[in-house]
Amino acid sequence: MREMHHSRWSKIGTALAVSSALGLMSGMSVANDKLVELSKSNENWVMQGKDFSGTHYSTAKQINKDNVKKLRPSWSFSTGVLNGHEGAPLVVNGTMFIHTPFPNNTFAIDLDEPGVIKWEHKPKQDPAARAVACCDVVNRGLAYWPGDDKAPAMIVKSLLDGHVVALNAETGEEYWKVENGDISVGQTETAAPFVAKDLVIQGSSGAELGVRGYVTAYDIHTGEMVWRWYATGPDSDVGLDKDFNKANPHYGQKGLGTSTWEDNAWKIGGGTNWGWYAYDPQLDMFYYGSGNPAPWNETMRPGDNKWTMTIWGRDLETGLAKFGYQKTPHDEWDYAGVNVMMLSEQKDKNGKMRKLLTHPDRNGIIYTLDRETGDLVSANKMDDTANWVKKVDLETGLPIRDPEYGTRMGHRSRDICPSAMGFHNQGFDSYDPKRELFYLGINHLCMDWEPFMLPYRAGQFFVGANVWTYPGPKGDRQNGIGSGQVKAYNAITGDFAWEKMEKFSVWGGTTATEGGLVFYGTLDGFIKARDADTGKLLWKFKLPSGVIGHPMTYTHKGTQYIAINYGVGGWPAVGLVFDLNDPSAGLGAVGAFKELARNTQMGGGVMVFSLDGKSPYDDVSLGEYGM
Amino acid sequence: MKLKTIAVTCSALMMLSGASAVMAYDGTKCKAAGNCWEAKPGFPDKIKGSKYDPKHSEKELNKQDAALKAMEKRNADRVEQFKKTGKWVY
Repeated sequence: MREMHHSRWSKIGTALAVSSALGLMSGMSVANDKLVELSKSNENWVMQGKDFSGTHYSTAKQINKDNVKKLRPSWSFSTGVLNGHEGAPLVVNGTMFIHTPFPNNTFAIDLDEPGVIKWEHKPKQDPAARAVACCDVVNRGLAYWPGDDKAPAMIVKSLLDGHVVALNAETGEEYWKVENGDISVGQTETAAPFVAKDLVIQGSSGAELGVRGYVTAYDIHTGEMVWRWYATGPDSDVGLDKDFNKANPHYGQKGLGTSTWEDNAWKIGGGTNWGWYAYDPQLDMFYYGSGNPAPWNETMRPGDNKWTMTIWGRDLETGLAKFGYQKTPHDEWDYAGVNVMMLSEQKDKNGKMRKLLTHPDRNGIIYTLDRETGDLVSANKMDDTANWVKKVDLETGLPIRDPEYGTRMGHRSRDICPSAMGFHNQGFDSYDPKRELFYLGINHLCMDWEPFMLPYRAGQFFVGANVWTYPGPKGDRQNGIGSGQVKAYNAITGDFAWEKMEKFSVWGGTTATEGGLVFYGTLDGFIKARDADTGKLLWKFKLPSGVIGHPMTYTHKGTQYIAINYGVGGWPAVGLVFDLNDPSAGLGAVGAFKELARNTQMGGGVMVFSLDGKSPYDDVSLGEYGM
Repeated sequence: MKLKTIAVTCSALMMLSGASAVMAYDGTKCKAAGNCWEAKPGFPDKIKGSKYDPKHSEKELNKQDAALKAMEKRNADRVEQFKKTGKWVY
């Protein structure tokens, strides 16, 4: 039975890949080229990462170190939805596209008159999805495809109940809608879709319910599935190129998606990928991370559990993996490595120009790989308090563990750093190519961990560990503050140009600009700007609610704006959102953020800033019925 | 590349040699490239039949795959209809 299944899938996968390649080669570059051009323009913010490299960096510099203190609110928009607002709005050709958490509404706003909603999309979805979402009902944002002679420009989004929907970007009408997950077996969607060429890449969520991770590509024109590959299981399901890991055979090559699991545990083994993507058009490869193995209780899943916790480099058209590097083999701490992938071109220590990929992982290590071969270039601790690992051996790629901080049945492990929430979670960070610095929003969190046994039932939580989280050694554990950091990191030297502590985790990530500024939001509801060279705090503003999304910037009619979602929630704020008090509730988050509710409350919307608050409404007649 | 291969091979050989027996447990002992997990002292390397056996139901384990196959079929039908009519019917 299994053999039949494998061979059938192998054939289907191959056929799909070939037809896809043929289909995509006709006119594929038109939309992609448009997207590249739009991403270079400061008038637009067409994808969550700003550009295919995920630099989250804008060359706009009207707002700079000298004048940032004059930033004032320009206009704002309430989404009418509470819960955590992750991600950021998109701006394309004078229209802002705003998303919300469940029920996953979308709004199009004309930047000439932001008080009027151009169109709104309110999907009908199964409310039961809320019950199987692991960590609040978040959504990480929208994707845009610019259209061609066959189909109109589209906004693509995922719904918590497992659907992926393409909307006409001009009208908001549904163009196609597919099922990409079934909540009855725990499969949800929180990740932003990623568009490259004419493909919509969509990840998967639900590892806390034992969901086996998968990544899927759909043809933007028709909604047709082009390929789907899994994080675990037979090679024919995982989608390995014939030369997989050829440059680094010690990472492992064939057969490991089953042989590093006991029996069929890979079928419920997690490895979902609900984070971010990057794409290199020259190599035609895209990059993302698969997350934690399931369940969290490590005793229940002997083996290295491949290919969970893996940085993937896959061919875009076929989806086949050129390389895979597993960062945390046999994870024992829920260090789900779905974190952001940022691409850069830099000289390595030997002076050789390299195409690099930098990934601040949840396990407390920031990895830099050659993104063509998968070679490990550097792997350094994001903070010296990370203790589960002594270091990463760059030759073998293996973490050198400290067994004192391992976890096991019948034992409460204490003071493990990072916590399950990681030193870095879903935040979208930034890279300044001039300074060659990565700006990292960091959690400073540690934990106690005690596993327990439980059966697997499809569609039910399958975690198997109690967790107590608290601020790390540099914070104030007693009072529940000092759980965040912001740092500037050089991936070649491994040095930090500067580092600053924050009251709470910097959950949403950073945005850098050529104005020499680093922007980010905080859980307690501030948007802040720091000097990119020194880290000096230059400006801040108190928002209506806490931030778990990332800032973005765009220029409209000659004015540079900074925009950010507010709306506290997500994993760090589940205690606040769902009124939980047990410190180990919310998968261990409640205790760590017990102080948060004294600093902010729920809300939901977008706040837009400009110098002196310059706004379309400076013309007071705009939108008036009668003056 | 060659140096790296040699280093990895040496490392693997060292781990397979008797020298590893006197080394403290660190969770890593490579049986093959990419297959390095080692059971913790006092814990089995196979849990089937042990007190940690979760006794998974094969029926439950197969539900995710069945759900995805069913969705793929429904999606394919929708796409076929869309290609024929130009109208998406969910």
